[in-house]
Amino acid sequence: MTRPTVKEIKAIADIAGIAVSNEVAERIANSIGPAFEGFAAVAGTLPFDLEPATFVLVQQAIRTTHEKAAP
Amino acid sequence: MNTEPALMSLTSVAKAIAEKRVSSREATQSCLDGIAQWQPRLNAFMTIEAEEVLAAADAADGALAKGNSRGVLHGVPLAHKDMYYEAGKVVTCGSKIRRDFVAKTTSTALQRLKDAGTIRLGSLQMAEFAYGPTGHNSHYGPVHNPWAVDRITGGSSSGSGSAVAARLTFAALGSDTGGSIRMPAHFCGVTGLKTTYGRISRAGAMPLSQSLDTVGPLARTVEDCALLLRLMAGADAEDPTAAAGPVPDYMAAARQPIKGLKVGVPSSFYVDDLDAEVARILDETVAALKREGAEIVQVELPDQRQLTASCQLVLAVEAAAFHKRWLIERPQDYGPQVLMRLQNGLAIPGVTYLEVMRWRGPALSAHLAAVAGVDAVIAPVAPVAAPTIAESDVGNSPDAESVIQRLTRFTRPINYLGLPSLSIPAGFTRGGLPVGMQLIGRSFDEAMLLRIGAAFQRLTDFHERVPNSA
Repeated sequence: MTRPTVKEIKAIADIAGIAVSNEVAERIANSIGPAFEGFAAVAGTLPFDLEPATFVLVQQAIRTTHEKAAP
Repeated sequence: MNTEPALMSLTSVAKAIAEKRVSSREATQSCLDGIAQWQPRLNAFMTIEAEEVLAAADAADGALAKGNSRGVLHGVPLAHKDMYYEAGKVVTCGSKIRRDFVAKTTSTALQRLKDAGTIRLGSLQMAEFAYGPTGHNSHYGPVHNPWAVDRITGGSSSGSGSAVAARLTFAALGSDTGGSIRMPAHFCGVTGLKTTYGRISRAGAMPLSQSLDTVGPLARTVEDCALLLRLMAGADAEDPTAAAGPVPDYMAAARQPIKGLKVGVPSSFYVDDLDAEVARILDETVAALKREGAEIVQVELPDQRQLTASCQLVLAVEAAAFHKRWLIERPQDYGPQVLMRLQNGLAIPGVTYLEVMRWRGPALSAHLAAVAGVDAVIAPVAPVAAPTIAESDVGNSPDAESVIQRLTRFTRPINYLGLPSLSIPAGFTRGGLPVGMQLIGRSFDEAMLLRIGAAFQRLTDFHERVPNSA
């Protein structure tokens, strides 16, 4: 996954109902671009059955473990 | 013990009021005297409600004289970040857009503190809509650091950090979405607790990012944070993400020794590119914990840069979604920096956002596996002490953006993972600026962090030092 281009940002923002100028789109690309690059190694690699609620399950599992271990 | 009431810790002044050694009026007046002295230089308060709080203090004293106590914080005056709704009060959220917004409800966290007996001193400054890490605010002016007034406080809980450090309130609520409690705690030399995602209800707290927002206290001591957490934590019908189940006795946990506990020091990322003085203070903190009986071990954490990137993507999208209506209708009413940050969220496709959210579970699992052998991890809150307000002003300094990116490096990964993290004052630079260290724990294990942090504060006096008001 690479950082979005100015053209792509303008298109996405337009669809969201908030048109941005070329200058703003370029600034957004420079500002949020590194985050896209940071996530690139993960993007497109996740297993099919994984859903966001897994996070809550992991949280609860560790909570149960250390609450049982508490004095 | 300090005889000036405002210099006492939260737990000390609450006990003194309960035992009638100090009246609520004396404690309140002592805070107001400090506010009168400091506020022109700090800009920490959004509103100061002197007449109302003195009347409330007198009522609290009157009730106590008749044997009626409302709770463990009976008659203690507090001010909080101006994003916690209180019915009938203006809650600006640090913004022009909400300059006249009057809340219809009271936030659960605030209500639980009121139920314990606190009285309202006023409200505290913050970054606009809690979306800024420095303490700058283009509508209300920057908040200043009481240790050096030309320095930033950190944000977004800027007023909370500044006011607690200057002893103007005994504690304050902050919020932490990307580091907004821990950074002001670090830069201002106070104790700050970023709670586990779901530990404290967020009902009635201004939203920024529903997947990352957490409520927590800034206070003078770990013991104070333990008391406040105990009062605020627990299930809430108004917030389905607030965790059910019993709330531990955090005060008891804070009294436990740390002999035999294992504290992990990251082998990379959190120890890279540190300012020399921050590196020295990290070493000294680790050495102090070791002397107290903790075992220090090195831990290798998963790639933290991926977590930072994930936090940025989630935050940008969710913040833009909350603000979309105002981005369309009132873009001119945002400060330029906040508007730019909000616009960033417009560039992120839905599939990318959901992919980042789907990865959160596996990322937390990987982190927990990496720290399975330790009770907590210690790391700096930021690689530097407080920069100047001028050098971190994005509008006026060409290097400001890189300064700001550096500040938030060590806090964002923790928000993405939803973990608790306790920032404790750990030392001072040779120039007199405070430096904090964060203890990072497992989900819902705030008790362990409070235990280690309290042990450190029994060994040191960094949390007791007070900035000079002269």
